[in-house]
Amino acid sequence: MLLHDLLFRLRSLMRRSAAEDELDNELRFHLERQTDKYVKSGTSEAEALRRARLEFGGLDQVKDECREARGVSFVESLVQDLHYAARTLLHSPAFTACAVLTLALGIGANTAIFSVVNRVLLNPLPYRNSQELLAARKNDSLPNLEDIQRQTKSFASSGGINIEPMDFTGKGEPVRVHGAYVDAGLFVTLGIQPMLGRWISADEDVKGGPRNAVVSYSFWRDFMGADPNVLGKAIRLSDNSYAVIGVMPRDFTLPKELADVFVSLWVAYPDAAAERDVHFMHTYWRLKPGVPLAQAQAEIAQADHRLAEAFPDTEKERGTLLIPLHEWLVGDVRSALLILFGAVGLVLLIACANFAMLLMARAVARQRELMIRASLGARNSRLIRQRLTESTLLALVGGAVGLVAAKAGTTLLLALRPAELHRFDAIPMDPRVFMFVFAISLLTGLLFGLLPAWSASRGDIAEALRENARSTATGVSRSPLRSFLVTGELALALILLAGAGLLIKGFLRLRSVDPGFNPANIITMYLQLPGTRYPQIPLQTNFRRELLARINSFPGVEAAMITDLPLAGNYVGHRVVIDGQPTPAVGTEPEVQTLSVMGNYFGVMQIPIRSGRDFRAMDREQQPRVAIVNEAFVRQLFPGQNPIGTRIDWARSDEPHEWMTIIGVVGDVKHSGLNQPVDPAVYAPFSQNDEAWRKFMTLVIRTRVPVAGLVEDVKKQVWSLDRQIPVSGIQSMDDLLAVSVAQERFNMLLLGSFAALAVALAGVGIYGMVAYRVNQRTHEIGVYIALGAQHRHVLRLVMKDGVKLGLLGIVLGLAGAIALTRVMVSLLFEVNPTDPATLIGVALLLAAVAMLACYIPARRALSIDPMTALRRE
Amino acid sequence: MPSRSIDLPQGTLDLLILRTLSLEPLHGWAVSERIQQISSDVLHVQQGSLYPALHRLERRGWVKARWGTSENNRRAKFYQLTKAGRRQLVVEQDAWQKLTAAVSQVLETA
Repeated sequence: MLLHDLLFRLRSLMRRSAAEDELDNELRFHLERQTDKYVKSGTSEAEALRRARLEFGGLDQVKDECREARGVSFVESLVQDLHYAARTLLHSPAFTACAVLTLALGIGANTAIFSVVNRVLLNPLPYRNSQELLAARKNDSLPNLEDIQRQTKSFASSGGINIEPMDFTGKGEPVRVHGAYVDAGLFVTLGIQPMLGRWISADEDVKGGPRNAVVSYSFWRDFMGADPNVLGKAIRLSDNSYAVIGVMPRDFTLPKELADVFVSLWVAYPDAAAERDVHFMHTYWRLKPGVPLAQAQAEIAQADHRLAEAFPDTEKERGTLLIPLHEWLVGDVRSALLILFGAVGLVLLIACANFAMLLMARAVARQRELMIRASLGARNSRLIRQRLTESTLLALVGGAVGLVAAKAGTTLLLALRPAELHRFDAIPMDPRVFMFVFAISLLTGLLFGLLPAWSASRGDIAEALRENARSTATGVSRSPLRSFLVTGELALALILLAGAGLLIKGFLRLRSVDPGFNPANIITMYLQLPGTRYPQIPLQTNFRRELLARINSFPGVEAAMITDLPLAGNYVGHRVVIDGQPTPAVGTEPEVQTLSVMGNYFGVMQIPIRSGRDFRAMDREQQPRVAIVNEAFVRQLFPGQNPIGTRIDWARSDEPHEWMTIIGVVGDVKHSGLNQPVDPAVYAPFSQNDEAWRKFMTLVIRTRVPVAGLVEDVKKQVWSLDRQIPVSGIQSMDDLLAVSVAQERFNMLLLGSFAALAVALAGVGIYGMVAYRVNQRTHEIGVYIALGAQHRHVLRLVMKDGVKLGLLGIVLGLAGAIALTRVMVSLLFEVNPTDPATLIGVALLLAAVAMLACYIPARRALSIDPMTALRRE
Repeated sequence: MPSRSIDLPQGTLDLLILRTLSLEPLHGWAVSERIQQISSDVLHVQQGSLYPALHRLERRGWVKARWGTSENNRRAKFYQLTKAGRRQLVVEQDAWQKLTAAVSQVLETA
């Protein structure tokens, strides 16, 4: 039956012109027979023809209905409608431009965010069978990783990676690159093959194995001239020569890390590789096919337990938690992205409301045409379908323009992206994005084209027609749909504005957090001494002291150095013991941040000394060891006491203690981020450092005035001391501060611009409504003015509805905001999601915008000349 | 137009066409004439709805059409009932008789 229907329609469609001829012949035959009949009954031929025609009715209409009955007409009239719609739209370019632009803004913003959501949340990870991949929440050491892998059966493989800066010294300036210290299992686990050559094999991944390196595509391209015969060539990394054995593919990225070269940790740092109790490797795991996560987790818990029993001193507090890799990667940004996606959906709704109102206004403007077509026999369903064709065509064009806008938008988003999204260096427009655009455009066109058409059938248009004909002088157009749309879009705009207001307030709060130092006019640079040439602490100290002395001899400059800069994301943690206090059990000593400094660090950073004294030049090697602690240290470890004079040391099991005396207390510094709590910290002089592996340092240089060429001068001094030390991480402290709040800034800017867009669209919507009504009521207003109405009366008359609807929308929006903003809690810093000041502020702001949007068109009503208005009667 | 003619109730046109065609293949004009004749001029088929109805029945596969020569020696399109059409006629006749019986019952007793 269905098949017959389909074949029939298809055949009719294929032989359309033949079918048209047949239809023509069939109907003509009927007319002839009927005429014959009348002639035979004695009527004159002319009269017979007239009667037959009259009886038959509209020939074209019958044909139309026959076509429809045959099922041909759908496609055919669609083509006709499209043609007609395109023609009429081109005839009213202003309307078309407004509608397309409105939708392009809404759809473009949605598409931009959707492409990010698609890329970050929906796309599978670029690894083979990525659903089998897991990550451990905590770092671990290679010996533990190897033991667990041996003792469990759930995992096909596992791998570890740690990124450290490496010095690449080839031709030209020495360069700091991201070095990945890995084990052979890593790439088996990720399931990636090198583009050229091979991966480090398991039998090479041992202490004393060959110095082989795999390089990234960009390293190969930038530093090796994309040489296809690169395999086997030697490169110098941190003073060691490595043979290149592989090049990674261009589109390869690590799950979270950035790396330029990959070397075996067992080969490069056998001592570090063997250390069980230093957990510094990110570990990745691949489940055997079909093994559930819970089973793997249970097995790994048993392995943890065995490790804790075997190594009670260091491995007691294990608790390896595995999570699917995808979840681990997007966990932080998922909620922010989903909230932004929801917000941008509201923007689209507002744009759609404006679109619907534009269509309604146009329907009224085209009433004559519609009336003529209706009286010519066009059926209502056909007229509605034709208007739907027009709105859908508009929406599709709007969607296409929106797609172009979205492309630009994603480029902008990428430029603003926070660190969490840094591995996404491109947001491609894949088929899913195109499907998304097509689907929302189609939906928008149909749904919001149907609304006005539906409302027309409910009499809105009829009322408008009547009103336009001025048959009722008092007729006030209160189209319920239009009122609903205006109210709705103001409510939505208020919700967005509230969200944006809260984020802005949170961001301002965050920015006003005192970081504990003065970031202005500070330039920072990162250096690392190669372990091969600076194996001992005195050598390192000499380098540091000499470099600082040279930089401090520049006029107008003061320089100091520290191991890890605040807000840069790193620190070394140590457990401490306090002389004179009972020693806690091994592994339960309090952990503190340990920072080494040289030069007038607290002075340069303007960190206040709260009590005691600063370091002095005499606090150096061979002198009594000293330390300065922060206020958090005092609060947590010496509550209510004066710590100065107390001796502390790192918790160690072997050597006798080398006590450091606390000589001062400095103000707290937000080391881990402005929105993070301050941890206890211990500062000690570099020169009294007893850990040779801490061969890195960050210069902090305060300049009284901006010094041109300072960076180049510093580099020259570094290289005059050692030709092969790269200077990297050159950034001002202000920039570092900005980077540390990039995620918050990203959220705020995005939601802020959506809210601005929403307010603008809602303003245009309410403006359009008032302007339309002023236009419709010109006559009435003219009479009013002629009767001596004051300006304010006229204003009140035309603004009343708009203001009323606006206020209603704002009240509804406030209720909506109170209900919805709680989803944002995780994005807000020290701001309550229903912060009254913010809600009242945005409500007032939107009310002001709405008033203005009513006032501008209302002012036009004042200039109506009563005589002209009356003459239009 | 004779005043005693009445408009066809909705949905009965298909039934009348099928019934008329069940005797012999006819062209459109003849179908309308035949209905008018048999009903003693009471039922007048609106030509504006006759042809769409014929085309609709053709699409449903209840009638099939072929071109032939009419009684006045002209080319005309003749409609003929198909097997499916005969089945449909039985179904619709049944439904109609049930309906009219029920309606008259209500009219006579209520």
